[in-house]
Amino acid sequence: MSDPGHTIVLEARGLAKSFQLGEASVEVLSCVDISLEESSSLSIQGESGCGKTTLLNLLARLEIGDAGEISWGGRKMMATDSFSSTESILRTRFLGVVYQAYYLIPELNVLENVLMAARLAGGPDQDSTDRARSLLSKMGVGQKEKQVPSKLSGGERQRVAIARALINTPKVLLADEPTGNLDERTGGQVMDLLLNACEEENTGLVLVTHNESFARSADSRVILSEGKTHPG
Amino acid sequence: MKVPWPLYLAWKQLFPSQRKMSFFSLLAIVGVALGVNVMIVVIAFMQGFQNKFRNDIINNQGHARAVPLARYAGWKEIPKLMLDTEGVKAVTPYLHAQLLLQSGNYHSIPFVIGLRPEDGDEVLPIGAFLERGMTRLRADDGEDVTPLPTIDALEDEVVFVSTQAANRLRVRPASVVQVFEGNSSQRNPASSGRVRVARLDPYVETAEWEIQFDGQGSCVARENISGDEFAWEYDKGSLDLGFGYPVFEISKGATPFAAGDRFLFQVFKANKIEIYSPRMIEQAKADEMVPPKEVRIGGIFEMPSQGFQMEALIGTMRFVEDMRGEEGACDGFYLKFSDSVARNEGSLRAKCRELELLLDEDWAIVPWSVENAWFFELLQFEETLMIVIMVPIGLVAAFAIAIALMTTVLRKIREIGLLVAMGGRRVSVGMVFCLQGFVIGTIGALVGCGLAILFIHYRDALMTFIVDLIVGQEGQVGVTQFYDFQSLSIAYPWESPESMSTFLVFALFAIGVSTIAGLLPAWRAARLNPADALRNE
Ligand SMILES: Nc1ncnc2c1ncn2[C@@H]1O[C@H](COP(=O)(O)OP(=O)(O)OP(=O)(O)O)[C@@H](O)[C@H]1O
Ligand SMILES: [Mg+2]
Repeated sequence: MSDPGHTIVLEARGLAKSFQLGEASVEVLSCVDISLEESSSLSIQGESGCGKTTLLNLLARLEIGDAGEISWGGRKMMATDSFSSTESILRTRFLGVVYQAYYLIPELNVLENVLMAARLAGGPDQDSTDRARSLLSKMGVGQKEKQVPSKLSGGERQRVAIARALINTPKVLLADEPTGNLDERTGGQVMDLLLNACEEENTGLVLVTHNESFARSADSRVILSEGKTHPG
Repeated sequence: MKVPWPLYLAWKQLFPSQRKMSFFSLLAIVGVALGVNVMIVVIAFMQGFQNKFRNDIINNQGHARAVPLARYAGWKEIPKLMLDTEGVKAVTPYLHAQLLLQSGNYHSIPFVIGLRPEDGDEVLPIGAFLERGMTRLRADDGEDVTPLPTIDALEDEVVFVSTQAANRLRVRPASVVQVFEGNSSQRNPASSGRVRVARLDPYVETAEWEIQFDGQGSCVARENISGDEFAWEYDKGSLDLGFGYPVFEISKGATPFAAGDRFLFQVFKANKIEIYSPRMIEQAKADEMVPPKEVRIGGIFEMPSQGFQMEALIGTMRFVEDMRGEEGACDGFYLKFSDSVARNEGSLRAKCRELELLLDEDWAIVPWSVENAWFFELLQFEETLMIVIMVPIGLVAAFAIAIALMTTVLRKIREIGLLVAMGGRRVSVGMVFCLQGFVIGTIGALVGCGLAILFIHYRDALMTFIVDLIVGQEGQVGVTQFYDFQSLSIAYPWESPESMSTFLVFALFAIGVSTIAGLLPAWRAARLNPADALRNE
């Protein structure tokens, strides 16, 4: 490897976001800077309600910011711009997302759920089907590919969600408290799988977590408080 | 070819992987299918009735009628002139009259049509009318074997009357009954030879004919009332004794006629009726002695007439002329055109106009559709009214689909957010719901068309069932007679463009309405802010 650590794959400068609550305006993020090097991981910690999810949404361009700039693999965007469909197309290849509540589609079985992400990117083909199977077995749910989500345990669901997030070989994976709904032991297993998979796939990881030890296992850490990031 | 993902997901939400079908899709599809089915079936049945009425009218008066605008002496050349025009298949002159019929104490004033026996059935299917009007005598030990009369029986002293007139006057044409003797095998025509009555003219006398075989190729026909005997070498042909006698012929069976084989026929002569014309009545008032005209009943006919009871009489033109006391009169012509002209109203009108010009506008040529316009306007009105009533029912189904899909959108808000987060465009996410409406509409329309075809296929059983339900077994006959059909002819979509367009219009209507019903939920889904959608509880 030729020094991958110096390429910045995801970057945000001066992100700000406030929400309108009736008359009052509540500022959640005032000036956030973040940068993620290729294939590295970054954990974000902070008190509940400090704006971690909001930050991830801004980074994923699912929320329009009040100020700031975002760059996806060198492609710069204004956080204040309205959503565009070129962004959508870019997002299928660039970003993977994992949420606390899994969000699997109940009408599809495990394999179809994973391949749904490939469909959004114009697939699936035989390659993506093979890849989905290998990701599922890497996640330890290879036996369950015909199962429907409602028949899976929480830990299994999150493993499927991780496989889905990785199917299009994204550059960055945004994970919002992926173990939040799991017990300590299962959470640990899922977190190990997530970190290992990201490393193997050369995928950068932005991990929002409340768990101190998970946060520490990331390459770098930031803490979000009072609308700003602080080095952890 | 890759299925676009919104269609894939729409399909999967309706038909999830683990189950065959979601309850919602089942209900929605059944709803659409029933709606489409009902709309198609109602309209198809109405078209069936319309076609039946149309055929009845054409059978009663041809494709058009030519009526002289002034008294026209040289009408005899007109048919030739018209027949030389392309597309004109048949031209039959006719005369009308009002006459009083009397038989004993019974009277009737029928609608009288005078036709020429030689070409009178070229436009009007007289043979079919006579067949419909045929009612056979019933007997336990005999069988009415009267041959069907034909227009050839019509002559100046012989008339046909409609069932209604015959019933009122209590008259019958000549008939013949084959009498079976105890334990004879003559009822079984398959194995043994039979004697049949080939012709029974209106002049036959009441008689009892006995035909006895000698087993050597000939037989004796004996008339029991007069005692006359006639030898018949049946191998050489039928027994034709001339006018006033029935004509017998044999049909050979597997086993030849044996000595002692006997066939017995009872012949009943035709009733006679007396006819008065208005002119005769005038003369009677002036104290002149005018004997009524006496004619025989040559047959009983029935015209399809939409349930109206009609007393009618068909005679020769000469008979009517005679009764009216005019010579060389003609009230008009019935016309029949080739199919290409008759198929649509436009070409029919154009052809009629062409003929009018050909005849220097001395004749008005009125197509059947114009003459009966009021009737078809009525039917058209009924059909339109039906559609006006049914379309809102279709819309109600659409509202149900819209509400169900809207509920789905609300239930799936977080999935909608996720699809956007995974890179789905918001328009495409909306499409998922619109396409569900489309898929429901399409499948529902297909199933509905299938059901409609089934209904059309089993229409007779269905009608019988309905009539049975309303009036019971006995009422069946009356209803069948009133509507004047045993079996309504309804075209399948592959048989007629009219039927095809009915199917297509309602199928497309269902698909369109269901898709539009999906638009509102789709718009709702596409408008969601993805971040808010993901936060939704
Ligand atoms: N659409 C919105 N309208 C109004 N306020 C909002 C909206 N979205 C988020 N907020 C507010 O912004 C703040 C930050 O929310 P966010 O979900 O980012 O917190 P968080 O750090 O992810 O918290 P947690 O750790 O509990 O998940 C909260 O106070 C929340 O109430
Ligand atoms: Mg959060």
